[in-house]
Amino acid sequence: MKPVILLPVFSLVLFAVVVRAQDEDVMPALQKNEAATEATYVGNPVAIKAGAELYATVCSGCHGPSGEGGRGPSLVRGNRVRQVSDVKLFASVQAGVPGTDMPPFPFPDEKVWQLVAFTRSLVASAYESGVPGDAGAGETVFFRKGECSRCHMIRGKGGFLGPDLTVAGVTNTIAQLREAFLDPNRRTSDGYRAVTVETTDRKRISGIARNNSNYSIQMIDKDGKLHLLAKQDLRSIEFPRKSWMPDDYADRLSEDEVQNVLAFLSRQAAHHLPAAPKQTGVVNR
Amino acid sequence: MRAGILGAWILGSGSLHAQVTFEDIKNSPSENWLLYAGDYAAQRHSPLEQINRGTVDSLVAKWVHHIKGSNKLTSIPLVFEGIMYVSNNNEVYALDAVSGRTVWHYRQLGVEMDRVNRGVGILGDRVFFVTSDCHLVALHRLTGGVLWDHQYADPKDGYHCTVSPVPVKDSIIVGVSGGDSGIRGYMTAHSPSTGEELWRLWTIPGEGEPGSETWCPPLPRGEPGSETRCPPLPWGGAGTWMSGTYDPELDVLYWTTGNPWPDFYGGDRPGDNLYTDSLLAIDPDTGKMKWYFQFTPHDVWDWDAQEFPILLDLPFEGKQRKLVVQANRNGYYYVLDRTTGEFLLGTPFVDKLTWSSGLDKNGRPILIEGTEPNLEGVEVCPTVRGASNFMAPSFNPDTGLLYVVVLEGCDVYTSSEKEPIPKTNFAGTGGERPPNDNNQFFIRALQPTTGERVWEYPMTGPTTMWAGTVSTAGGLVFFADDDNHLVALDAKSGKHLWHFNLGQPLYSSPITYSVNGKQYVTIVAQTDVFTFGLFEAAKPVPLVGELGSP
Repeated sequence: MKPVILLPVFSLVLFAVVVRAQDEDVMPALQKNEAATEATYVGNPVAIKAGAELYATVCSGCHGPSGEGGRGPSLVRGNRVRQVSDVKLFASVQAGVPGTDMPPFPFPDEKVWQLVAFTRSLVASAYESGVPGDAGAGETVFFRKGECSRCHMIRGKGGFLGPDLTVAGVTNTIAQLREAFLDPNRRTSDGYRAVTVETTDRKRISGIARNNSNYSIQMIDKDGKLHLLAKQDLRSIEFPRKSWMPDDYADRLSEDEVQNVLAFLSRQAAHHLPAAPKQTGVVNR
Repeated sequence: MRAGILGAWILGSGSLHAQVTFEDIKNSPSENWLLYAGDYAAQRHSPLEQINRGTVDSLVAKWVHHIKGSNKLTSIPLVFEGIMYVSNNNEVYALDAVSGRTVWHYRQLGVEMDRVNRGVGILGDRVFFVTSDCHLVALHRLTGGVLWDHQYADPKDGYHCTVSPVPVKDSIIVGVSGGDSGIRGYMTAHSPSTGEELWRLWTIPGEGEPGSETWCPPLPRGEPGSETRCPPLPWGGAGTWMSGTYDPELDVLYWTTGNPWPDFYGGDRPGDNLYTDSLLAIDPDTGKMKWYFQFTPHDVWDWDAQEFPILLDLPFEGKQRKLVVQANRNGYYYVLDRTTGEFLLGTPFVDKLTWSSGLDKNGRPILIEGTEPNLEGVEVCPTVRGASNFMAPSFNPDTGLLYVVVLEGCDVYTSSEKEPIPKTNFAGTGGERPPNDNNQFFIRALQPTTGERVWEYPMTGPTTMWAGTVSTAGGLVFFADDDNHLVALDAKSGKHLWHFNLGQPLYSSPITYSVNGKQYVTIVAQTDVFTFGLFEAAKPVPLVGELGSP
């Protein structure tokens, strides 16, 4: 019964996980042996499982059962969680985030570390997940047979219409990479919607809407030309329902080729990499 | 040969979009604003004149862009062909310069340090910026995609990085911060195509190198023979975080250096402590020093020389000369010959200057006894923030005046004889405001070859701002004051013409640019980017649905 009673009390859970530099003064006294503590919990399947159970009890009301966000921000989209350290994440949970709807949760340290471990597992990057496959063969598919580089750029090589994938391995989970690769129409990708506009002087422009409001639209076309347009200068605007990303790679490529491309993408990172990928308890394929 | 390499990597990218060329940068500012300093000479004078003495009263806010999570934005934005590039710590935004909407955003992940950032550099199809932990990163200027990432300094050695990279021909020049923590300062040049380090110039000399004799005796104290030998110092300061200037005709780079360390105790570093608090003239192809001028030898007040070294071609005592001028943190305004480094003139640009009675014929300060920091504390003027600092000055060739942000003030400087420990930020205590001080900021218009004051504009406020100026052919000087206003003055008379309350402190300097024939003025405030333009009546906008699919 106790968790049921507590549920409404903790419905404001984990609202914002970003702790900024000036919030360090509210950090609990957890600096001692922090490296050892992190190593005990983060990436530990037992801690992740315990954290998942606790998360479902106290956090999912605001952040969503799978962390996709709801009343509170998404924990898995963007870099909100990735850009903070484990210690700051710990502090965000235990001390809350002053000035936001995220209240403190003064659980014992062990419970908070379990929540940190679970949250980290939600955003475990494809890079650190150790995705199996032949990355070299995947690179060949990416730049040749798959024609991925017609739209996607890696380290300056490729096209302009799709997201740059130079750091795709550290900014996506393997699940996110797989979904974007094989089921691109499932989720709208902000900043990458296909669009065609006609200006008042009858010029038609097709490209990707990097940003769009009632008053202006910022587009990039296939040649890499940016079009910064005021809506008052447009006659029409059309967003096709389907992404320009092909949705038939599961048919066009073999299962091994798909896995090899995912292995290649998972290794895309430009900086700040750990010496070797660490296993985080997530399922890779 | 090097220009050929530049052409090769630009063409190699195979893109059809416009490239930012070295010529574009030499012509900045125009419609574009392509350097932290605005132009290679750091005159910060824009030829734009749509906003002028007659129209400035119609200047209105056009857009505000909030930088999420920012605490102290310090960057000066760049603008190229309608896109504004503005940085925060470890991140860069590309904005539509007309609407303020985001085109792309790049965040460097995994950086534990969070220091200020002064802005980006731009060349070819790429934007360059430094992370707090000293990675120089090249981003595609149209997509924000990473092209390369090169770490050029190690935070474990006390360094952090804030500098706005400076493109010079086919190299990108950057510097380091950490002079208050006992770093050994240096600056580097990098290939824009790969990030490879092309040269490194140490601003603290190595063993046996010229200048090493100015650091005797060595640490640690009491070590046998420490009084007689002068080994290389693994520390010493001389940070290089201020973007330099460049003379394309002479092909000389001018870069300034920061304070010696420990900041306020000189007992362990008797001597001039080269090349701290100096202006260095450098061959941009090799990194070799051509000459130097040290403003504050054996500094014990933390008076970095990291104020803009402004390049001017003006008659001096009847003869046309290539000059470099600087309103230095130590309170003196300097005029040097930038071909030779010859000292031509030095005169106070503040009234409150108590540490020195003047400069000798070589420009060396004549010290006043009893002004060195001590254990009890001694009141000395200027303040530890200096008579000026990184707040940008500007020069208007039409009025012939140099506009300088000036802080009239004093601090109580306290020292310590504690053994300094490099990389721990022990600075031998410091400077603090005396009780009942009456410190005050001014904009002063100086005659640049004499230092004579032509007019001044006093400010109210808490003396906590760090904002500078921009001059325009419209006869205006824009600056941000000490009470959070963006202000426009008549460049000739200093008369107030316009102001706007930004509602937040300022740590950056304004710029101006033009898109589709319309001039804008932008300033980065504490957490937001503000842009202004001339009033236009609103036009009807078709709503979502009227144009087609939303």
